[in-house]
Amino acid sequence: MKRSKSSFEWRKVTESKLFFPLVALALILLFDLIFIPTFFHITFQQGHLYGSLIDILRNSMPVVALAIGMTLVIATGGVDLSVGAIMAIVSSVAALLMNPFVLGTQLQAIKNNPTYSYSPFWVVILLPLIVATICGLWNGLLVAHGKIQPMVATLILMISGRGIAQLITNSQKIQIFYGPFRYIGNGWILLPFSLFIVVFLYVLAWLLTRRTAIGLFIESVGINSRSSLFSGIDEKKIKLFAYVFCGFCAGIAGLIATSNISTSDATSLGLNTELDAILAVVIGGTLLGAGGRFSLLASAIGGLVMQAVTTSMYAIGVSANSLLAVKGVVVILIILLYAQQVQGLIRKITGRTKLKETKP
Amino acid sequence: MMQNLSTLFSKNRRLLPLSATIILFFIAYAVGAAYLPGMRDTQVFLNLFNQTPYLLVSVIGETLVVISGGIDLSVGGMVALTTTASAALLRASWNPWVVMPLMLAMGATMGAIMGYFITYLNVQPFIATLAGMWIGRGLAYFISNESIVINDRIYTLLDRTKILIPGLSNVVTQKGDYITPSVVIAMAVFVAANYIAHYTRFGRTIYSIGGANGANEQSARLMGLPVNRTKVLVYTFNGFCSALAGIFLSIYTRSGQGLLGNGMELTVIAAVVIGGTSLIGGEGYVFGALFGVLITILIQTMIQIQGHLITWWTLIMVGVITLFFIGLQSVIANLKIGQIAGTKVSREKRIRQVLLYGGGAALVIVLAVLAFAVLPNATHGSANAAASTSRACQPKPFRPDQAASLMKAGAVISYERNGGANCIDELYAIYPDGRITGDNGTQQIEKQVTSDDVDRLLSFISNAGWFTDNMFSTSHVPCKVCYTYFTSVAYKGQEKTVEAVDGGTDAPPEYWLVTGQFSMIVPIFGPAP
Amino acid sequence: MAESDNEIVTMKGISKSFPGVQALENVDFTLRRGEIHALVGENGAGKSTLIRILTGAEQPNAGTITVDQQTISIRSPQHAQGLGISTVYQEVNLCLNLTVAENILIGREPMKWGSIDWKTMNARAKQILHGLDVDLDVTQTLGNCSVAIQQMAAIARALEVSSARVLVLDEPTSSLSTHETEQLFGVMRKLKSEGMAIIFITHFLDQVYKVADRITVLRNGKLLGTYATATLPRLELITKMIGRTLTEFDEMAQLKHESGQHIKSEVLLDAKGVGQTGSIEPFDLELHAGEVVGLAGLLGSGRTEMARLLFGLDKPDGGSITMDGKPVRNYSPTGSIERGVALCPEDRKAEGVIADLTVRENIILAMQASLGWFKHLNSQEQYEIAEKYIELLNITTPSGDQPVKNLSGGNQQKVILARWLATNPRLLILDEPTKGIDVGTKAEIQKLVLSLAEEGKSCMFISSELEEVLRISHRIVVLRERKKIAEFGGDVGDRKIMQAIAGSE
Repeated sequence: MKRSKSSFEWRKVTESKLFFPLVALALILLFDLIFIPTFFHITFQQGHLYGSLIDILRNSMPVVALAIGMTLVIATGGVDLSVGAIMAIVSSVAALLMNPFVLGTQLQAIKNNPTYSYSPFWVVILLPLIVATICGLWNGLLVAHGKIQPMVATLILMISGRGIAQLITNSQKIQIFYGPFRYIGNGWILLPFSLFIVVFLYVLAWLLTRRTAIGLFIESVGINSRSSLFSGIDEKKIKLFAYVFCGFCAGIAGLIATSNISTSDATSLGLNTELDAILAVVIGGTLLGAGGRFSLLASAIGGLVMQAVTTSMYAIGVSANSLLAVKGVVVILIILLYAQQVQGLIRKITGRTKLKETKP
Repeated sequence: MMQNLSTLFSKNRRLLPLSATIILFFIAYAVGAAYLPGMRDTQVFLNLFNQTPYLLVSVIGETLVVISGGIDLSVGGMVALTTTASAALLRASWNPWVVMPLMLAMGATMGAIMGYFITYLNVQPFIATLAGMWIGRGLAYFISNESIVINDRIYTLLDRTKILIPGLSNVVTQKGDYITPSVVIAMAVFVAANYIAHYTRFGRTIYSIGGANGANEQSARLMGLPVNRTKVLVYTFNGFCSALAGIFLSIYTRSGQGLLGNGMELTVIAAVVIGGTSLIGGEGYVFGALFGVLITILIQTMIQIQGHLITWWTLIMVGVITLFFIGLQSVIANLKIGQIAGTKVSREKRIRQVLLYGGGAALVIVLAVLAFAVLPNATHGSANAAASTSRACQPKPFRPDQAASLMKAGAVISYERNGGANCIDELYAIYPDGRITGDNGTQQIEKQVTSDDVDRLLSFISNAGWFTDNMFSTSHVPCKVCYTYFTSVAYKGQEKTVEAVDGGTDAPPEYWLVTGQFSMIVPIFGPAP
Repeated sequence: MAESDNEIVTMKGISKSFPGVQALENVDFTLRRGEIHALVGENGAGKSTLIRILTGAEQPNAGTITVDQQTISIRSPQHAQGLGISTVYQEVNLCLNLTVAENILIGREPMKWGSIDWKTMNARAKQILHGLDVDLDVTQTLGNCSVAIQQMAAIARALEVSSARVLVLDEPTSSLSTHETEQLFGVMRKLKSEGMAIIFITHFLDQVYKVADRITVLRNGKLLGTYATATLPRLELITKMIGRTLTEFDEMAQLKHESGQHIKSEVLLDAKGVGQTGSIEPFDLELHAGEVVGLAGLLGSGRTEMARLLFGLDKPDGGSITMDGKPVRNYSPTGSIERGVALCPEDRKAEGVIADLTVRENIILAMQASLGWFKHLNSQEQYEIAEKYIELLNITTPSGDQPVKNLSGGNQQKVILARWLATNPRLLILDEPTKGIDVGTKAEIQKLVLSLAEEGKSCMFISSELEEVLRISHRIVVLRERKKIAEFGGDVGDRKIMQAIAGSE
C-alpha cells in the first residue's frame, strides 16, 4: 500500500493554522484600502519609515510579545490572566530603579536629565525581567504543583499584582527621561526598535519550542496530559516552563509599553491588555480551554490583527471610547470565522471536498 | 452531634468552602470590631448591605453562570450601558417606570444574544462575553462621553429613602439604622435565585451542565435535558441581573456614565469564588454569593474605616483571600479525585495534607490581620495616628440645594468641603466680581479678591480638564479624617459638578490640583463660637 | 407476517460515512418486542455507529427507520427518548456531580406546587432501584458510587423515561464483576419478560450465548446476517466475524513452545515485597528475558495496579525492585523508560493515544521523552522511525502524518505498541492490549508478543480473556482480590486457573 510523505495540496494551505489569521488581517486591510485611501501611504521621515502601517507595527508590539508567551500557556490547556498586572509591576520596578528618589524629595534637575539613571542600564532591564519571570514561576507553581485551575490561579496575581505595582510607586505616575530606556519604545532602525526586540523574542520562542522537544511536549500535554504522563512526559515541568516563559514575555511587553509612553503608570498600564493577548492567540487558532496544537506565527499575526483594528478605527475617526464597541463586534466576526458551521461553509465554497479514502 | 456534623461533611464535601466563607466572615467581623471601635456601630453592618445591592445581584447571576460551567465577563459593560441608557432616557423625560423595565429587557436580550453565540455557534464563553463587555461599554460611551446626572424624582426617592429597622431606630426623629429599598429588592432576587437553583428544573439543569470538563454537559444532553435552552437562559438571566445591577448603581450614584463598573468583573468573579462556587462548574451554592459579596465589601470597609491604608491594599487582600478559597476548593477536589480513581490516600498523607493546608491558611490569615491592625502609616496624605480613636462627632449632611441656588444667583464656583476629624461642612461661593462667601452652618464670612484672580482661577480649572471626561465624579466611604468635596464650576456657558472623596485613588488627580487652588484663596473660618 | 407485526424497530438500507471511512453500508436491522438481540462485530464493524443512528445522535446518509410501523427520522437523542428508545452507553453518561436520585429523575422530577418535591423524588428513585434489586442511599453523589451502581442508575433512568420500549445497552459489562454481570442479566431477563426489546452490544461472546435470543453480525460496515442464537454455534460465529480459520492460533502454540526454549535464567527484574496500601498487597515477582508472563484474574483483582507499580506510575509502600541486580531508585515513568521498562496502558483512549497528534508523533513520543527536552529528533529521523514501525506492525494508515484519531481502534492500539517498541524496552508490560479489538488484530498482537520474547525481551501480558493468557504465556501469575495467590507454568489447564481465581471451594 502506497503511503505518501506530505505533498502539497490546496487543502494544506486552508488547514494550516496561518490561514484564518491571514484572512482576518487581509479583510481588515481590505477595509482600510476601501475606506481610508491614505492608510497604505508610507513615507520616509526623520530617518525612519512612517505611516499607518508602521503605527500598527509599533503599537502592537506589547500585545504580540504577550501573545507569544500566552500561546504556550494556552497550548497547555491553561490561560494567564495576570500578564497585564505583571506588566504593571515591571513598569513600577523599572521606574524605581531609574530614579528611586522620585517618591520622596524633588530632585528636579536630575529628574529631567536623559543621561541620568540611578542604576546601570543592564540592571534596569534585567531586574524587572527577573521579577516578571518570578511572577510567571508563581503562576506556574500554583497551576502545575498546586493543581489549581489556571483561570483561578492567575486571577489571584491579576487582582493583587496591580495592587503590588501601585504599592511600589505609591500610585504615582512616574515620568521617565532616561535616554537608553526610552530608546526601547521610541527608537528606530528604519523600523521601530521594539519590532526587533519582539522578533528576537519570537525567534527565541521558536527555537525553544520547535528545535527542541518542548513544543511537541506542550502540544502533547495540552491534548491529553494523562497519556503524556504514561509516555514519560512530566506535565508539571512543561506547564511550569510555559508559565515562566509567559511571565518573561510579559516582562518584555511591560518594558516596551512603559517605554512607548515614557511613563510608569501602575494603575492603567497593561489594563485589559491580557484580554487582547488572549484574543490574539485565539485568532491564531490555538484552542482556548483545550490547548494542543499551536503556532507562534499565527498568534503574532493575531496580535497584528487586534492592533490593525484599533488603528484603522482611529484612522476613520472613531473615538477611543466607542472603539471598544467596534472591537467587540470585530472580535465576534473573527471568532465566527472559526465557528464550525462557517468553516464548513467556506470549505464548500472553495470547492474542497474530502476525498473518500478506501480501506485496503 | 459531632457524628452528624462529620457525616454531613463527608457526604457533602462541597459544603466545606461555603462553611469556611461564612466562618471567615464572622471571624473577620469580630476581629474588626475588636480592633476598630468604628465598626461596632450597627449601621456599619447594615451599610455592608446598603452599599452593594448592585454587586450582590451581579454575583448571584454570575454564580449561576459559573455553576453551569461558563463564565460571563460582560457584567461591567452591561452595567455601564444600563446606567448611561437610563440616564439618557430620563434626561429626555421618559417615565422612570417605563425606563426600568426597558433596561431589564435590554439586559436580558443582550444576555440572550451572548448565550446564543455560546450555545449554538460554539463560541467560547470567555470570548463571547468579553466581546459583550466591550460592546456594552462602547455603546455606553457612544450614548454619552460624559457622565449624565439623573435628576429624576423617583430615582432620587429610591436613593434617599431609608427603611428604618424597627427596634433599632427612632421613627419620630427619622434617625437610626436603616437599609435602602435597593437592598430589599436585591434580597428578593437572592431568595428567588436560591429557589430557582434548588427547586426548579431549570436550576437543576444548570447544575447538570457544569463541571467535569464538559463531560457532564455531554451526559446531560444524552439524558435528554434541554441543555441548549438552559444555557441560553442562564446567560439571559445574568444579563437581566447585570441590568438590574446597573439600575441599582444609577440610583446610588444618581448618574450614568461609561466608566461605571470598570473592572467590576474581577470583583464579581472573586466574590463568586469566595462564596464557595468552583470555577470548574457543577457545584456551588447561590447562598455563598451573599457571603462572597459581604466579605469583599467588609474588607473594603475595614480598610477605609481604619483610615491608614490606601485602597490598593483592598486589591491585595482580596487576592489573598481568593487564594485561600481556591486552595480550599482544590484540596477538596483532589481528595474527591483520589476517591473516584479508587486510590486511597493513606491516612497519614491525608492528615499531613490537612495540617499543611490548615497551617498555611491560618498563617496567612494571622499575617493579614497583624498587618492590618499594626502597620504604621502608609499613606500619602494627612492622616495621623491620633485619628485612630473613634470619631467624636456626627457628620453633617451635604447641601446640594444650597449650592445650586448659589450658582443660580450668579456664583461661578460653589465649593463644599465636608467631613474631616472635626466633621465640618463648609460651603463657599465665588462670584465673578471677586466676592467670596463662606458658610459653615454657624458662621458666615466674606472675602474680596480681584475679578482677575477669579478669571485666572477659572481658566486654570478649565485647563485642568474640568469640562472634559477626564474629570468625573467618584465617591466612596470616607475615612475618619477624610473630606468629601462637591464643586460646581460655571465657565463660558458650561456648568459641571464634580464630587470626590480624598484619601483614595479613585478620583482623578487633577481634582486635587483644583481644590488646592481653592484652599489658597478662600477665607478661613474662625474658631466655633 | 405475524413476525413483522411484532417488530418494533426496523432499519433498512442504512449507510453512513465519515471523512475517510465508510462506517456503514446498506445495513438492515430489525428488533422485536420481548427479545434480547445481541449486536456483535469487531471494532470498526459499525456497531456503535448503527446504535448512534438509532438513538438520534447521528443522522444516516441513506436508509429508512421505522418505529412501530411508522417511518420516521430520528432527529436527536431527546426525540429518540420520546419515541421510547433509551440508551445506556459504555461510558456511563450521567452527571457525576448530582445525586443518584437526581440522575434517575432529572428532567421529570415530581413537582409540588410548582417546585421540585425532593422527598417524593428520593422515595421514587429508591422504589425504581428496588425494582432492579438494588438497594442504596439515593441521596449520595453519583460520583462517589461504584461503576456498577452508576450503571444501574443509568439503566433505571433509561427505563423511567417516557415508557421506554427499546433499551439499548452498549458494552454494559466491561467494568462489572461476574456477580454484577449476573445481576444485570437478571434485570434484562425481567424486562424482556415484560415485553421490552433489548439491544445488547458486547464483545464477550460467552455473555451473548447466555442471554441473547438473536444475534446480528456486522463486519467492516456491512451486515453479515441475523441469526437465532440457538442455531449458531460459537465457532461459526467467530468464523463469520473474522472470516478466517483459527489456524493462526495453532501456529501460536508452536511458536510458544519454541520460544520457551530461549528463556534466560538470569533474573531481569526482581520485585520483593512490593505493594501499595489500598491497591495491592505486597508481592514477589521474578521476570526473565525471553519470557512471556501472563497475569490472570478477575477485574479488580489488582492486575493493572501491579503493572503500574512495576512501571513506576505508583510508588510502592515497601519492598524493593531490582533490575539486573541493581536496586531501582527513580520511581517514575521516565525512570522506567530509561531502565528499559515500558507499559502499554489499559485505556488507550485516555492513557495512550494523543488524539490530535499524528501517527508519527505518537510513535516517537516516548522515545523523545526519554531523550529529554533538548535532544530533539528532527523530522527526517522521526519519519524513518515511524515508517519502520508502520511496516513492522502493519498499521493501516494513508500516511504517517494522519492524525491518529482518524484510525480505527485496532490500529490505534498498534500505534501505541509501536511507541513502546521504539523505546527498545527490555521489559514490555501490556495491559489489555487486545481490548475492544477485532479478532484478526488480536491474533497479530499475540503473535507479536511471542516474537518479541523470542528476540530476548521480557513480556508481561495482562488480559481479561483467560484464553489469550493461556495461549501465549510461558508462565502465569494469578491474582485475586488484590493479592498474588499463585503461579503456574504455561501449560496449565483452564480449570486449574479458574479454581485458583475462584478461591477455595
